[in-house]
Amino acid sequence: MSYHHHHRRRGHHKGDYERPDYYETPEQRLRKNIVQYGEVDPAQELPRLANQIFEHAPTNVPTVTEGFRIGVTEQPFKIPYYAALLRLLYDRPVSEEVTTPLGRQVLEDFWKAFREFIDKHAWRETRLCVHFFAHLTVARVISAKSMYELLDAFKEVILNIGSSHDRSTKAALCVAEGLLIAGSAINEDPSLDIPALISAVQTVVEGGGGLPTKLLVHPIVHLHEIRGAFIRAEPKNEPEHAEEWLSCALSVLQALKAKDFAQSADSVPQPYLDYPSLPGELFDLEAILVPPEVEEDGTEGKKGEWSQCYVRIFDDDITPDPTTPVGFILRSNLIDILDIFEVNRKECARLLLEYPKWALPGTFKSKSGAPPQSPTEGKGWDLENTLIETILSAMFLLPESTHKSIYYIALITELCKAQPQSVGPAVGKSIRKLYALLADGLDVEIAHRFADWFAVHMSNFNFIWVWKEWIPDLALVPQHPRRKFMRQAVEYEIRLSYHDRIMRTLPEAMTESTAQVLAVAAPGPDFEYEDAAHAQHETAQGILNLLRGRAKPDDVMLHLESLRNQLSETVTENIDTLLRKITVQSLLSIGSRSFSHFLNAIERYLPLLRNLAAGQISASGSPSAEARGDIMSAVALVWRRSKHMVLIVFDKLMQYQIVDPTDVVAWTFMHYPKVVDGRKEGKVFTGFQWDLLKAALDKANGRVSVQKRKVAALTREADERAARVRANESAAMEVDGDAQLDAAPAGETPQLTAARNAIDVLDREQKAVLRRTMEGFLDCLAVLSIDKEVQEAMSEHKWHNRANWEDKMWEAWETWGWFRNWARTYSSYLSKHDTKEMLEALATSKFPSPDHSAARQFRVIWNIAVGDEPYWDNPEDP
Amino acid sequence: MAHIVTPLDQPSNYKDSQSRVDRQMQSDLLSKTSTLYVGNLSFYTTEEQIYELFSKCTTSEDGGGIKRIIMGLDRNTSHAEALACLRYISGTKLDERIIRCDLDLGYRDGRQFGRGKSGGQVRDEHRQDYDPGRGGWGAQAQRAEIERRREVEERYNDAQDVPGAVAGGGGDWKDVSENPLKRARSPDDEGEGGRGEPRAKVEEPEHDPGRM
Repeated sequence: MSYHHHHRRRGHHKGDYERPDYYETPEQRLRKNIVQYGEVDPAQELPRLANQIFEHAPTNVPTVTEGFRIGVTEQPFKIPYYAALLRLLYDRPVSEEVTTPLGRQVLEDFWKAFREFIDKHAWRETRLCVHFFAHLTVARVISAKSMYELLDAFKEVILNIGSSHDRSTKAALCVAEGLLIAGSAINEDPSLDIPALISAVQTVVEGGGGLPTKLLVHPIVHLHEIRGAFIRAEPKNEPEHAEEWLSCALSVLQALKAKDFAQSADSVPQPYLDYPSLPGELFDLEAILVPPEVEEDGTEGKKGEWSQCYVRIFDDDITPDPTTPVGFILRSNLIDILDIFEVNRKECARLLLEYPKWALPGTFKSKSGAPPQSPTEGKGWDLENTLIETILSAMFLLPESTHKSIYYIALITELCKAQPQSVGPAVGKSIRKLYALLADGLDVEIAHRFADWFAVHMSNFNFIWVWKEWIPDLALVPQHPRRKFMRQAVEYEIRLSYHDRIMRTLPEAMTESTAQVLAVAAPGPDFEYEDAAHAQHETAQGILNLLRGRAKPDDVMLHLESLRNQLSETVTENIDTLLRKITVQSLLSIGSRSFSHFLNAIERYLPLLRNLAAGQISASGSPSAEARGDIMSAVALVWRRSKHMVLIVFDKLMQYQIVDPTDVVAWTFMHYPKVVDGRKEGKVFTGFQWDLLKAALDKANGRVSVQKRKVAALTREADERAARVRANESAAMEVDGDAQLDAAPAGETPQLTAARNAIDVLDREQKAVLRRTMEGFLDCLAVLSIDKEVQEAMSEHKWHNRANWEDKMWEAWETWGWFRNWARTYSSYLSKHDTKEMLEALATSKFPSPDHSAARQFRVIWNIAVGDEPYWDNPEDP
Repeated sequence: MAHIVTPLDQPSNYKDSQSRVDRQMQSDLLSKTSTLYVGNLSFYTTEEQIYELFSKCTTSEDGGGIKRIIMGLDRNTSHAEALACLRYISGTKLDERIIRCDLDLGYRDGRQFGRGKSGGQVRDEHRQDYDPGRGGWGAQAQRAEIERRREVEERYNDAQDVPGAVAGGGGDWKDVSENPLKRARSPDDEGEGGRGEPRAKVEEPEHDPGRM
C-alpha cells in the first residue's frame, strides 16, 4: 500500500506545486537518452541511439561526451554497451568537411574527463573509466599497447614507496579489472609484460612482508592463527567463509593468465565483438601520471588502511565465487551499485533486481515463468542470494563499512518489499547461515551488527521469525555466541517495539526465565528505595517529593546538607555515596517517563549534579572520580532492565560534562559487570560494554575533531582579515603615499588563542581515554592469562573442542574479540607516536613476561594495529 | 550521483502552514537545518523508540547525536545526520507503522503540535479513516490534540529558563527540534501496565490532501 501513495503523491506534486517541467532542450534530451539507454532492450536500442546521435544537428560533442561520462561512471553495468555505442559512432563521417569520426572526437573529449577524475583522486570513477577503455581495447578501438601503458601507470602507483596501502589497493584494482576485461587483447602482443602487472598486484596483497593486516579484519576469528603469526607470516589454514578482495583479484588474474585470458569472454558481455574491424589507426591513449596523494588537514583518524575482507555466506553453486573472473567482476559491479546509489535506496533496490538484464545470459537461474534458458556450465546462480550476500558482506566490512549499517538494512528492506516471494527466503537463508557461523568464530563486532540488522529487519516485517528452530540451542552454555545472539536480538527488537509484543512472537520455550532469551520483566526503571521496608525509603521519599515539586536546586542542596548531618550518625555506609545514590536515582525516577522528561529533569538540576560530581552538595569543586562513579552506578541500577537507557543517560551526562569520557571508560571496565550483571569479578568484556566504551571514545575523539575544525575556520578567518588589512594598506599607500600604520591585528584573536588552548585540553582528555581503555583491557587480558585453562582457549587444539567449552572460555574468547575490535577501530589514534609509546609502556608493565602466550597474542594484535614490524623473536610457540 | 536518480534526501514540498517566513527563507533554513520532522507515528510510540531508530543515523565521532525529541520531531546535531535519516529511515517502519521524515525549520513555541493550519497535524485535519494508532477519527484526534497541547505546554514551560536547557540556537527559531506526534501520557496511564492489546492498527490509505 505504501507504493501506491508514494506514486500518487509524486504525481500530485508535479502537477500542482512544482513549476511545470522546464523546457527540455534537444541537447538535454540527447544526453538523457544516452544516460537512460537500454531501459527496454539494450541490444536493439544500440543502433537506434547511435543514429539519433548522428542525426542530432549541429553535432554536439560535449553533450554526447557528458552522456557517456555519466553513463560510464554511474552505471557500471552498462559499460560494455557504452563501449559498443562508441564503436558505432565510428561508422559514419560527421559531415563531408569533418573526416574525424564522431567516435574519435567523443573519445578524445572523454579522455579529458578521465584526467579530471584522476586529478581529483576520484578512484571509483577512474576505475570505471578503465573498464570503458578496456572494453574499447577489445572492441579494437583503442590500441592494446596504449591500454597496457595506462595500466602500467597504475602499476607505478603501486610500486611507489610513498603510496599508502589504500592508494595502492585502489590502483591495483584498476590494474586487475582493466586486465580482466582487456587481457585477451593485450595478451596478443608478446612485447607487453602482463606478468609485471600481475606481480605488482601481488606485492599489494603480500603487504610488504609485514604482519598480515587481514588477521585483524577477517570476519572469522581464529585466535590461534593470530598467535601463529609469531612464527609464520601466512596463516596455516585460512579460515573459510570470507574472501580478501585483492587476493581474489590476484587469483583471478593468475587463473586468466594461465589460460591466455580465454575466460574473459565468458565473464563480461562483449556486445561489440560482431562489429567489423575499423579501418585506419587505432586510438592511442595518452600517457598519464597519477598525481600523488594530498595530505588533508585535520583529518582525525584516517581510514582505509585495512584490507577488505568480505564475508561469504553461501556455497559456490548458489552465489558466484569471487576468486573466479566472472564472480569477481560481478561482485565488483554490485558493490559499485551499492555505493553509487546510496542516495536512493529504492532505486538501488530496483537496479539490483534488474541486474541480470546486463549480465551474460545464463549467469543467474531463470525465474519460474520466464522462458527457460540453456543452463550455462558453472553458472546459474541465485540472484537474490547473491544480492543479499553482497549487501551483508559490505555491511559487515571491518573495521567499518563504507556507509552506515542502517543504509544496508534499509536497502534489504526495499528489496524485500519489491519482491517478497523471492528475496524473503534469501534473507531467511542468510540469517540461518550467519547464525550457524556464530559458533565457528564469527567476529564479535559482526555478530553485533548482525543482531542489529535482525532486529531492524524484523521490525519492518511484523517481527515474524521462526524462532522455534533455535530451541535446541537453548541447551548450549549461556555465554555461547548463539545464545548471546538470541538475547541480543530480542533485546534490540524490544527497543524498537515493546516487551509484550516481542514476547508474543517467541515460542513458549524461549519465554521461560530459564531460557534467558527474554527478560522476565518488561523494561523499565527500578527505584531502589521504592520499597517501604527499605531503610532509606523515607529519606528517598523526601528527596523525591522535592524534585517532583520542582523545588529550586538551592533548596534541594539545603535539604541534602541537612540530611547529611542527620544521617551521619545512623548510617554505616559512606554518607556521601548514599546521598548521591538516592539523589541521582530520584532524579532519574522523576525523569523516567520519557526522554524529554529525563532531559528536563537533569537540565533543571544541573547545578546540583555538577556539585555531586565533585563530591560536594552545595559547594562546587574539582571532579571526583569516586563521586562520578557513584553517579554512573546509580544510573545503571535504575536502568538495569533497559540498558539502552544507560547509553542515553551517559551520553547526556557527558554532554553536560557531569562526567567525562574517561570516567565512563573507567566505570565500564570496573563497575559495569558488578552493577549490571551482578558479577563478583569484572574481568570480562561484553558487547554492551563495547557500546559504552565506543560512546565514550567517540565523544572524546569527536570533541577534538570539532575543535580542530573550529580552529581551522578561525585561522582561515584571521588570515583573510590580515590579507584584507594588507590590501587596504597598500591601496592607501598608493593613493596618498603615506602609510597609516594602524595597530595592525598582528597575531591571533582571543577566540583563536582560546580555541587552541581548548585543543590542548581535549587532546589530553583523548589520551587519557585511550590510556584508561588500554588499562581496562590489560586488566582483563593479563589476568585471564593466569587461568591456565582459559589461556588455552587460544590454542588450536582447544578451539576445535569448542563444542564443550564452558562459559568462561567463551567469555575469554569474546574479550579478546573486543580488544581486537578496539585496536583496529581506533588504530589511527593508537598509532600516533606519543600515544603509542605511552600505551606500549603500559602493556609492558602489565604482562608478566613477554614470552607469555597471552602477551604474544596481545603483541601481534597490537603491532598490526599500529603498523609495527612483526615481532619475530623466540619462535618457540607453546 | 544525482544524475541517474533523485536522491531521497530532498526536502519535500510539505510546508509549515503557520510559518511566518517566506518560501525562500524557509528553503535556506532547510538547507542547513538539523531538525527533522517525523510523521505518521503512532500516538503510542515512545521517545525511546524514536531515539533507538534515529540514533542509527548519527555519527558521534563528528560530535553528533540526538539532542532532543519534542512531541514528534527529532533533533540531531548535524544537517548531515538529518539527511541520512531521510535517505535511510523515511518510508521504513517504526513500531509497525511506516513513518515519514522531512526536514524541518526548527523549533519554535507551538511548533511541537504540527504543521496544519489549525495548529495540529495536517494529516489529522483531513484524515477520514479510523486509525486507532492516532486517536481514532480525525476529529477525535483534534480534540485529543487540545488536551495534549495543554499538557506539553506545561512540560516545556520550565525547561526554557534553565541555563543550557536549550542547546544554543538563536533568534526566533530556537535551535531545538521536535517530533510532532506522540501520545500524551497522563500520569494515570502509567499504572495500567503500559501498552497492551488496544494497539490494533489500520494500514493507512493516506488521505492527505493537505500535503501539498
